[in-house]
Amino acid sequence: MDTLLAALFTGTSRGAIYALVAMGLVLVWRGAGIVNFAQMGQAMFSTYIASTLIMNGYSYWIGFVVAIIAGALLGVLLDLLVMRPLANKKQTELLSSASMRAAVPVIASLGILGVLQALAGIFWAAEERGFPAPVGQTGFTVAGQVMPFTSFDLFVVSVVALTLLMTVLFFKKTGVGLAMRASALDQEVAKLSGIRTNGVRALSWAISGAASSLAGLLLTPSSNLSPYTLDLALIIGFTAAVVGGLDSLPGSVLGGFILGFIISFVNYYMSPEDIFLAILAVLIFVLIVRPRGIFGGKDVRRV
Amino acid sequence: MLEIKNLVTSFGSVIALNGISMTANESVITTVIGANGAGKSTLLRTISGLEKPSAGSISWKGQSLLGKRPEEIVRMGVAHVPEGHAVISALSVEENIAMGALFRRRKYKSDIAAATDEMFTLFPRLLERRKQLAGTLSGGERQMLAISRALVARPSLLLLDEPSLGLAPLVVEQIIDSINTLSRTTGLTVLLVEQNANTALNVADHGVLLALGKVVADRPAHELKADANLRAAYLGY
Repeated sequence: MDTLLAALFTGTSRGAIYALVAMGLVLVWRGAGIVNFAQMGQAMFSTYIASTLIMNGYSYWIGFVVAIIAGALLGVLLDLLVMRPLANKKQTELLSSASMRAAVPVIASLGILGVLQALAGIFWAAEERGFPAPVGQTGFTVAGQVMPFTSFDLFVVSVVALTLLMTVLFFKKTGVGLAMRASALDQEVAKLSGIRTNGVRALSWAISGAASSLAGLLLTPSSNLSPYTLDLALIIGFTAAVVGGLDSLPGSVLGGFILGFIISFVNYYMSPEDIFLAILAVLIFVLIVRPRGIFGGKDVRRV
Repeated sequence: MLEIKNLVTSFGSVIALNGISMTANESVITTVIGANGAGKSTLLRTISGLEKPSAGSISWKGQSLLGKRPEEIVRMGVAHVPEGHAVISALSVEENIAMGALFRRRKYKSDIAAATDEMFTLFPRLLERRKQLAGTLSGGERQMLAISRALVARPSLLLLDEPSLGLAPLVVEQIIDSINTLSRTTGLTVLLVEQNANTALNVADHGVLLALGKVVADRPAHELKADANLRAAYLGY
């Protein structure tokens, strides 16, 4: 019973974070047609910025806000400096075939990941450092028993729930949200409607960058911060996005929670060493049985 | 006035527009007709900025459209309804219409509701289906929606690409009538591309006949309609 509760609680709070990671991936996939493997590298980088601020005596919250803004800016920067020039190169010989046009930005994102990890090594040395949580990490006590759910878990779940709610409202209720959905679905019709699709694409990168920075801030207190700590989160987030359907935002959230529970149950009922294997098994299983994911559209996306 | 001079657009080694010069007068319907592959759609796509011409000039009301992005050209009052009932299937009818007016929402906020209502008056069937996804509409309704999406931008020039494509004659008549009425009552300038020459020449004031990327004839619509030789040679009826 205790183990079951622990698995459920951990699954919820971990799942919430993976939902953020998956949402970040889906945003850039829908907005720019790119699977962004650099995403958690960006998150790592902005978490280091927060860490540096906090170590220099600033409050946790200043670090928190600066990291999220930095994550958004870094996302926009990658779009402007790397991805947009690549997209504009479609007429050249290198990118003349559709498959190369789809592949090159993804390879570029892997390159960016490497660069970010190397830069983090140079700026902050590669040794692991701790990262603080804003609230306690000891379990709540109910009827004399310590529950496997901490104040920090509650913080994680609340922050993520708020973020997801704001994202839904943004996409459903605002003009910019409509512009983003329209551009993701049909670039040409969006442009002909007067939507500045370049700006919208940069905004996708910004929101994705902010969401994954938030995920980085929420993940690192329970691991440690190093240039490579968030690599596993990317793989989990990617699997979550595939499970939910790469082009569906609700799907990515659902996928995040599914992965959170799977990982948590494997951790408690099998062994932590099996987690990586379990993730890959889920990824391959979904790709074979239902490649478009739970909520994924039937149409194959034009890339 | 829409003024096009020596326009050349090519795709690799294929020349789609081979030095087109034509004009379209304001507040009337001008139609561009011609067989498949004559360059009609490319002409509209080049005007709206979707294709980049390699030579020539395009101007609307004295302002050059050359080298501008499609999203900026719309903002200059030139709205394009591309071929094939271009709506976004995964968005609702309302959202498709709202999308067309997004760029005006800061400056003309109060006018957007009015413009949307006008669309529902023009095409009442869209009002009944406003909450439905555009993908669930019939072909005719989708064309009406695509036109509405363009018109809520309050364009001064409407580029309409084959509205009759794949639609029943009765629906085509209804759509063309609506456009005709709109042009006559509001002074909207229309450049109508059609393969169905008869329908187009019936409503248009002026007709331009294209063949293999060149202008073959440029005359008042009724003259073009009456010219049996041209019809036999280029339109095949």
